Amino acid sequence: MSNSLIIGQYVPGQSLVHKLDPRTKITIIFFFVFIVFFANNLVSYTLLTVFALASMFISRVPIRFILKGLTPVWFLIVFTFILHLFVTKEGTLIFDLYIFEFYTGGVIQGFAISMRFFLLILMTSLLTLTTTPIEITDAIEDMLHPLKKVKFPVHELALMMSISLRFIPTLMQETEKISRAQASRGVDFKTGPIKERAKAVVPLLVPLFVSAFKRAEELAMAMEARGYQGGEGRTKLRELKIEKRDILIYVLFACVIAGLIYTRNY
Amino acid sequence: MDITFKNVSYIYQRNTPFAHKAVDDLSFHIPSGSFVAIIGHTGSGKSTLIQHLNGLAIPSEGEVTIGDFYLTNDKKPKNMKELRSRVGVVFQYPEHQLFEETVEKDIAFGPENFGVSKDEINKRIKDLIPAVGLSEALLERSPFDLSGGQMRRVAIAGVLAVKPEVLVLDEPTAGLDPRGQKEMMEMFYTLHKEQGLTTILVTHSMEDAVKYADHVIILNQGTKYMEGKPEEVFIQKEALHKVQLDVPEMVQFLNLFENKFGKSIPFERQSIKEIAQSIQHIVKGAEKP
Repeated sequence: MSNSLIIGQYVPGQSLVHKLDPRTKITIIFFFVFIVFFANNLVSYTLLTVFALASMFISRVPIRFILKGLTPVWFLIVFTFILHLFVTKEGTLIFDLYIFEFYTGGVIQGFAISMRFFLLILMTSLLTLTTTPIEITDAIEDMLHPLKKVKFPVHELALMMSISLRFIPTLMQETEKISRAQASRGVDFKTGPIKERAKAVVPLLVPLFVSAFKRAEELAMAMEARGYQGGEGRTKLRELKIEKRDILIYVLFACVIAGLIYTRNY
Repeated sequence: MDITFKNVSYIYQRNTPFAHKAVDDLSFHIPSGSFVAIIGHTGSGKSTLIQHLNGLAIPSEGEVTIGDFYLTNDKKPKNMKELRSRVGVVFQYPEHQLFEETVEKDIAFGPENFGVSKDEINKRIKDLIPAVGLSEALLERSPFDLSGGQMRRVAIAGVLAVKPEVLVLDEPTAGLDPRGQKEMMEMFYTLHKEQGLTTILVTHSMEDAVKYADHVIILNQGTKYMEGKPEEVFIQKEALHKVQLDVPEMVQFLNLFENKFGKSIPFERQSIKEIAQSIQHIVKGAEKP
């Protein structure tokens, strides 16, 4: 199984962040993504970083685990930093190396942009780490509800989402199982020239598609057998409810936004 | 090939909150040419264990020796492909691994990967088709047009076509009808005898283990719970019940017989016929004096 990619992997817990209503979390992260781009000086960046780090500590997801999950994006963050270092020509000259000139503006810009990246990824992965996919789907269905007025198939979309999310682990298991079986028959997925490795994918993909189609058919049949007819008049097992803690967090987040607007002009 | 496990542990997703020890300090020895049954409840580590046999899993701790191949956490053999050509694995529901356009191509896929010549492959297919109970008319058909039982036979032929020395079977009869189950087990047993294979059978069926295996290993939660000859292991009713396993029907019957008639017949892996004869003997013997 892929050990490095943690986006979409839920870590069970009982923390405040886990218990928040998923709609609260999605709303806050939605706005967080915007306000990250409003930060323009050290104080405003510190404010946002404190907010993000505080959420991370409160969630009690092991830090080592989050950092490991960030490994695929470290490259992007570092690359952005270096790019700004070379390209931005503002502020005072620090030193020049043959044709390259490094300016203070480059360092500051590079740092700021990488920080934005870091904060964005930290917050979004925190959402998926502390919220089950089912909760996220429920929240999205609820939040898109107004679109029903314009005949947008909200329920069907949510159902599609939860079915696909539900079958990701199943498909991953299936992939692993079939790749083990084919590896036992002498397929080499890991070494050899690229052309050979591309060919090795066929014995993996064909059985995977066959079983995915078969499973989809069986699922459709099972749903019909249990009287599924779509969203009309369907009640919910898990009702989403806004609690006091959600309101508290909204207020806190509003303070952060206000603080940000205030500190922008420092 | 001799197979030896020495203090083998295997940990899934090490160093994450999901770390999980599937096999824990497992040691055993399987001499070349034996037929071993591995039995255990779901989640007892059977499937993880068999992945060590052809290097799909590398032990997190301890060492695995298969013939001249040596697997430890820091030393993988370079010729993994050769190991896999000598250890054939029939996974659970092997029909899921079929992918080629025709049955013939699918059976040839394994040996082709291991560099067997075209002529030799054709010869092997000719021998295998009747051995696994298929007809040559199917060779040109698509494997996806066949029935479930036929697909399973094609997949098994695909593993056997590599001519492995060690054959690992992970519940090969699951989901087949009773007759198909019996035919399939008989086929594996014949192959085992004829080709001098070392066979490792993972099963839930105590009956199959009694009938075919000459050595039994019982796993519970990743560790070895019991080991020995079937006639020694399978009479320990209480110990087996503790890990949610049952004694074979034959032993159950002998126990009931003893309770009812007060005569005990020792369990020596007799066939049903032999037991019937012993009972006849006891009944007649009781009438005579």
